[in-house]
Amino acid sequence: MNAIEISRICKTFKGKRGARVEAVKDLSLVIKQGEIFGFLGPNGAGKSTTIKLLMGLVRPTGGSASIMGHDVGSHLSRKHVGYLPENPAFYDYLSAEEYLIFIGKTFGMKEPALKEKAEKVLRLLDLWEARKRRMREYSKGMVQRLGLAQVLIHDPDVYILDEPMSGLDPIGRALVKGIILDLKSQGKCVFFSTHITSDVETVCDRVGIVLKGVLQSVERVESIMTEGITGYHVRIKDKGADEDREEYAAKDEISEVVGRAQAAGSEITLIEPKRKNLEEFFLDIVKRKDAR
Amino acid sequence: MLQVFSVTLRGVFRDRVFQGILIIAVVFLLIPSISSLSMRQVTELSITLSLSLISFILLLLAVFLGGTSLWKDIERRYTFSVMGLPVTRASYVLGKFAGISCFVLLTSVVLGMAATAVIRYSSGIYPAMRPIVWSNIYLALLFDALKYILLVAFAFLFSTISTSFFLPVFGAISVFLVGSATQQVYDFIHTQAGQALPWYIKKIAPALYYVLPNFEAFDFKVNAIYGIALSVPGVFYTTGYFLIYLFLVLAFTSSIFSRRELQ
Repeated sequence: MNAIEISRICKTFKGKRGARVEAVKDLSLVIKQGEIFGFLGPNGAGKSTTIKLLMGLVRPTGGSASIMGHDVGSHLSRKHVGYLPENPAFYDYLSAEEYLIFIGKTFGMKEPALKEKAEKVLRLLDLWEARKRRMREYSKGMVQRLGLAQVLIHDPDVYILDEPMSGLDPIGRALVKGIILDLKSQGKCVFFSTHITSDVETVCDRVGIVLKGVLQSVERVESIMTEGITGYHVRIKDKGADEDREEYAAKDEISEVVGRAQAAGSEITLIEPKRKNLEEFFLDIVKRKDAR
Repeated sequence: MLQVFSVTLRGVFRDRVFQGILIIAVVFLLIPSISSLSMRQVTELSITLSLSLISFILLLLAVFLGGTSLWKDIERRYTFSVMGLPVTRASYVLGKFAGISCFVLLTSVVLGMAATAVIRYSSGIYPAMRPIVWSNIYLALLFDALKYILLVAFAFLFSTISTSFFLPVFGAISVFLVGSATQQVYDFIHTQAGQALPWYIKKIAPALYYVLPNFEAFDFKVNAIYGIALSVPGVFYTTGYFLIYLFLVLAFTSSIFSRRELQ
């Protein structure tokens, strides 16, 4: 069974003066269990709307979606999901500990195990000391970390995270990346949206790029990184020279450059591939889309 | 639903609106002095003032807590996180409604205890001319609370279709005013003077009488103040009316909220 299946989903909102805004257009996607999927796109691309469609917060104009085999229109689809909304807000009159107990009980967790798990995730997200304080006293970063704590508390199979690194400092971002990689090692599915390419590069198996509501491309991150080699930096030590010199060889010129150096009796000390990173890949797609 | 209920109830206790409204309860301390001004009807006046004060406090709670509870969840985007849980929209709305209603009942109980102390003290100042029928007083209090629970249901209904708090709050106030007058309007239509009204008013008014709530049916204050025996069928009729009306309003509310887009 696939963790998430989206089939030709569409969402059209009624804008001002009766204008129609197509937030998501004919989007299809399958995400397997154990996969980390990054949903990449600029602001207003339709990432959050897609996530809201998956969570049943808005209803699709067309198409369908399911999570762990349950249609997203049913509350049962959320039984296996940990959801972190974008810029989350929680009942601010509760403390972090009270909120986690509320979430755990909603998922049917029982008291001793629930308290143990709450302590574990509060410590993991560095909220243990602040656990008794009401959330209205929390900083934005603390609320974001609590958002992550509440998705981890019931150990779901699928994690849907809308901009999980938003509002976090570098330490918090590293922590979240570590958590996502840990979830991957446990065989969990993580679907997260972001507009920051480096987040995807470091943790994702696959990336989907969405622009203006249309899914433009779905690629394996590894493929982008390996197939994206555009050329090589070759470091050569010529006969009798004291220092190395560096030469750039395009992808199809590398054999020629190496052959020439060897023929001249030079020593090749380093060949370093120059690869197109995810950001360039993403920007290429954006440019192509804009050119159309 | 149970979890939403308990979290809502906890929220109300920590709400500054509730804490502010409850300050009005200090007026209870003035009731014995004010009642003694009536000279001969000290007890009757203390019952009247106690029940009226409780009714006023419950009205404020129903309007402001009922009118802002669901709206605040939507406005502050708490619904995004709660609706991401495996709870249906209907159970969420009903859980919140149950939390506010339970609070209205709890407040009635606490204020009822304060009223008991005030009435006992007042009757000690000047003995009552008629016996105090406590069961009537408590029943009047209970039905007053039920009236405001129905008003909370209306406030929730307005919250499901509104994006601001104006409709839930002012809508609830309007329903309260209209609901308090429907019986009188209906009775007037059937008097000789009412027959002189235009034909369309005579047609519309009875139709509205059956659609809009009739809060006068919940009013047992006269029985409480003067110790008049209650009509048992009347009590059952009002209970049935409350249950059916509440069911219909909540079913409508849940249905609308289940279709609402949370953007």
